[in-house]
Amino acid sequence: MRYRRPGLDVATHVILIIGALIFMLPVLLALMASTHTLPSLLSGGLALLPGSEGLDHYIQLLTQPAGGVAVPTWRLMLNSLIMALGIAVGKLTISIIAAYAIVFFRFRFRMLCFWLIFVTLMLPVEVRIVPTYGVVADLGLLNSYPGLILPLIASATATFLFRQFFLTLPPELLEAARLDGAGPWRFFRDILLPLSKTNMAALFVIMFIYGWNQYLWPLLAASDADYATLVMSLRRLTIAQDGVPPWQLATTMTVLALLPPVAVIVLMQRWFVKGLVDSEK
Amino acid sequence: MATFQRHRAFPWLLLLPQLAIVAIFFFWPAFQALRRSFYVQDAFGLGERFVGLSNYVAVLTSALWQQALVNTLLFSASVALGAMSIALLLATLADRVLRGAKGYRTLLIWPYAVAPAAAGVLWLFLFDPSLGIISRALGSLGIHWNQRLNGGQAMLLVIIASVWQQMSYNFIFFLAGLQSIPASLLESAAIDGAGPWRRFWTITFPLLSPTTFFLLVMNTIYAFFETFGTIDTTTGGGPNNATTTLVYKIYQDGIVGLDLGGSSAQSVILMVLVGLLTLIQFRYVERRVQYY
Amino acid sequence: MSTLTLERLNKTYGGNVQAVRGVDLDIADGELIVVVGPSGCGKSTLLRLIAGLEEISDGELCIDGQRVNDSEPAGRDIAMVFQNYALYPHMSVYDNMAYSLKNRRTPKEEIRRRVTETARLLAIDDLLERRPRQLSGGQRQRVAMGRAVVRQPKVFLFDEPLSNLDASLRVQMRQEIRRLQKRLGVTSVYVTHDQVEAMTLADRLVVMNGGRIEQIGTPMTLFNQPATRFVAGFIGSPAMNFIDLAHAEQTPWLPASTPGGALTAGIRPEHLQLVTAGSGDLPGRIEMVEPLGSESLVHVRLGEHDPLLVVRLSGDELPAAEQPTGVAINGPVHLFDSDGRRLP
Repeated sequence: MRYRRPGLDVATHVILIIGALIFMLPVLLALMASTHTLPSLLSGGLALLPGSEGLDHYIQLLTQPAGGVAVPTWRLMLNSLIMALGIAVGKLTISIIAAYAIVFFRFRFRMLCFWLIFVTLMLPVEVRIVPTYGVVADLGLLNSYPGLILPLIASATATFLFRQFFLTLPPELLEAARLDGAGPWRFFRDILLPLSKTNMAALFVIMFIYGWNQYLWPLLAASDADYATLVMSLRRLTIAQDGVPPWQLATTMTVLALLPPVAVIVLMQRWFVKGLVDSEK
Repeated sequence: MATFQRHRAFPWLLLLPQLAIVAIFFFWPAFQALRRSFYVQDAFGLGERFVGLSNYVAVLTSALWQQALVNTLLFSASVALGAMSIALLLATLADRVLRGAKGYRTLLIWPYAVAPAAAGVLWLFLFDPSLGIISRALGSLGIHWNQRLNGGQAMLLVIIASVWQQMSYNFIFFLAGLQSIPASLLESAAIDGAGPWRRFWTITFPLLSPTTFFLLVMNTIYAFFETFGTIDTTTGGGPNNATTTLVYKIYQDGIVGLDLGGSSAQSVILMVLVGLLTLIQFRYVERRVQYY
Repeated sequence: MSTLTLERLNKTYGGNVQAVRGVDLDIADGELIVVVGPSGCGKSTLLRLIAGLEEISDGELCIDGQRVNDSEPAGRDIAMVFQNYALYPHMSVYDNMAYSLKNRRTPKEEIRRRVTETARLLAIDDLLERRPRQLSGGQRQRVAMGRAVVRQPKVFLFDEPLSNLDASLRVQMRQEIRRLQKRLGVTSVYVTHDQVEAMTLADRLVVMNGGRIEQIGTPMTLFNQPATRFVAGFIGSPAMNFIDLAHAEQTPWLPASTPGGALTAGIRPEHLQLVTAGSGDLPGRIEMVEPLGSESLVHVRLGEHDPLLVVRLSGDELPAAEQPTGVAINGPVHLFDSDGRRLP
C-alpha cells in the first residue's frame, strides 16, 4: 500500500535520482576523461565535459598496442569474447544435460553424482588457484582457449538451477511423452529444451558476464599476449609513467571493458533479473 | 518425479562431461592443495618433504596471515554493511514509486555487470592523488589523500569500489523481496495504526529477513573472493599489506612467492571457512526449497 | 478391436508396500470399465501398470492375448488422459495432437488429416493454433481427449480426467466421453473416485479397496447386490445404514431364514420410513433433519450408543426434530458376516 503524500513522493524521486547519479558518476567521469589529453587532465579543471580528443583514444587503443600491453585492444576484446562465450555456452551445455540425467533417470550412484557436483558450489576458483594452475600447466593448456575456459566451468551453479527448474515440471509431462512414443533423446529435444528457454537465456547472461569479468585466472593462464583478455590487462595501463599513469588511455580501456557486459545486462534485463532471483532462491 | 528406468548407460553419457571437468579442474586441484599443505618443497622445486601440520602452524602463527585475516573480516563486514544498507534504502524507495520502478532498476543494476577490476580502476581514477576529482576535493578540505602511502585510505578505497559494485546485486534482491510482500499485510498494519516508519521496522524488515540473511552470506563470499581484481588494480595489497586479504595472500605466497606448502595450507584453511559459510547458507536454503 | 486381460497382477514398492494385490480382470472389446475406490486403494497404480508407467512386480498383462509386461509404454498402443491433462505447454494444440504421430513417422498428409478430423469430432477445430495456456479448463480437457483419440489406440486410459472441472462442465463432459467411447468403440479403463461418475459411465464397475478388487459387475448389480460390506457402503449416496447385531436370531425384523450369531445388517436410506412412535420395526428419536429440496434426510438415533440411521424422505416431508419416532423397513435388508462378506 502506498499513501499518496505528494511531498514524500517528490523526496523519494529526488533521492532515487541522486542515488542513480552517484552510481553513474564514476563511469561518466571515466567516459569524459577518455576524451581528454593527459596534460588537460593534469592541468586541473574538472573534466566533466567532453574534451578535445573525441574518439581518438578509442581508435588508438583498438588499433595499436599501448602501455604495457603487447597487442591492440581489439585483440583483447576478441579473446574476452571467446572466453565469455566459451564459458557461457560450455557451462550451459554440460549443466543442462547433467541436470537432465540427475532428475529424469534412476541409476546406481545417482545421489553420489549429485553430491560430487553439488560440493563444487562451495569453492570459487580463487581458493584453489595455485593447484589449478599446476593442473592446467601439466595438461599443456596454459595460453590456450580451453585452458582459459575449462577451469571456470567446473562448478555446479547452473546444474543446480536446471535441476530445480526440472523438479517443478509436472511428472505427467514425461509420462505423456513416453506414451506418445518419445524416448530420452526426443523428450529432451522436443519438450525439455523448449521449456528451458527462459532459464537458459537468464543463465547465459549471468555466465557471459561472469566470464567476461574474470581477472585472476586469465592473469595466470594467459601469460602470452595473444591470449590476454581485456579485463586482466586493465592494470597495465594504471602503472605510473613519469609519476602519473596514462589515465586518458586507462579510462578509455575501462570504458571498453565495461561496455559489452553492461549492454548485455541492460538489453536482457528481464531475463537476467529473473534468472538471478530464481537461481538463488 | 517420473523417470526413465530402462536406460542404464545414457545417464552416464549425459553426466560424463560435467563429471570429467569437475574431476580434473576441481577435485584434483583441491586434493593437490590438501596434499601439498603437508609438504615442504626444497629450494629448487625438485624434491619435497613431509612436514605434517607444520605448514598450518606456520600460517596460523604468522603475523602477516593474521593481519590478512583481520583485513578480510574488516573488509567483508564493511562491504556487506555498506552495500546492503544503501541497497535497502534505494530498494525501499523504488518500491514506493508506482511509476518508474523499472526505470530506476535499470539505472541501478548495471554496476553488477562491471568487472571488479574495472570498478577498481574507475575509483582509482577518482582518487588519483594528482588528478582525481575526489582526492582534489578532499585536498581542498585539508585532507591529504594518498592511498599509496596511507593504509587506512587504501582500505577505504577498496571498500568504496566494492560497495559501489555489490550494491546493485543487493538492490535486485531487496526489490524482489519487497515486491513479494503482500500489500494486505501493510494495509492491515496501517489500519492497526502503524505509521510508515513503524510499518517498515515491524512488518517489512522482519519479512525481508530471509533475503537479508541470504545477502549477508553472498556479500561475504563476494568480499572474500571476487574482489581480488579490485584489490589488485587499486592497491596491489599495499601499502605495507594494509589491503592484503586472505585470497590475495594465497596468490602472493603461491604464485609470486612460490611457497607452495604455505599457500596450500592457506587454501585449505580458506576452504574450510567457506565450506562452513556455505553449509550455513545451505541449511537456510533447504528450508525454502523442497527437495525430494 | 482389442481385449485387455489382467492376471494376478501385483505391484510392490520397496519390497513391502503392496499397492496392487492379485488383480484379475478380463475386459471385453469396446467395453468401458470404471475403476472406483477411495484414495490410496491402488486404482491409479493399476492404471499406470496397464500404461507401462510402472513396472509390473508379478502377474501378467495381455492386450489382444499378447503379453505386454515388458513393452515400453509407447509400444503397447494405448493412450492416456491425465488428471492435469499434461499438455505440452510450448506446443500449439495441433502440435500437441500431432506429436505422437510424428514420433511414429506418420506421413505429414496423414497427420494433418487425422488431427483435423479428430479436432472436428471434439469441436476444437478452431483452437488448433492456440497454446494450452490460452484455453479454458474444458477446452484443455477436450485437447487432452483429442490427443488420445487421434492415435486410434487399442486402449484408452482415463485417470480422473474430469476432477479439475467445475460441476456443470463435469456432467457435460461425462456424457461426451460416454458418447465418444461408444462411437469409437475403443476398449477403455476409467479411474475415478466419484461414484456418480462411475455409475453413469461404466459398462462394468470395479470397486477396489486396499489394493484388491472387492467386486466386479454392472452398476446395478453392485448397487443391488453388493458382495461385501465395503462395496455396500461405498456405492450409493447417502451411504447404506449398517446395524451391528450380536444375536441375529433375536432380531424380529430379519427374515426367518437368517442364520444366527453376530452379523451386520445393511439397509439403504430409501428403504426406511418414519412411522408414529411406538409402531414400526425400530424405535428411535429424530436428532436432525436436513432439507435438501428434492428430498429430506432424517437422522434417527436408535439407542444411546448406536450409530445414527439415515432415512431418506421426499422433499415435502419435514418432520420436527427432537421427537421420538418409529422406523419401518420397506425394502431389502443386506446381510454381511463378521468378515464383511455378503450372506446369500
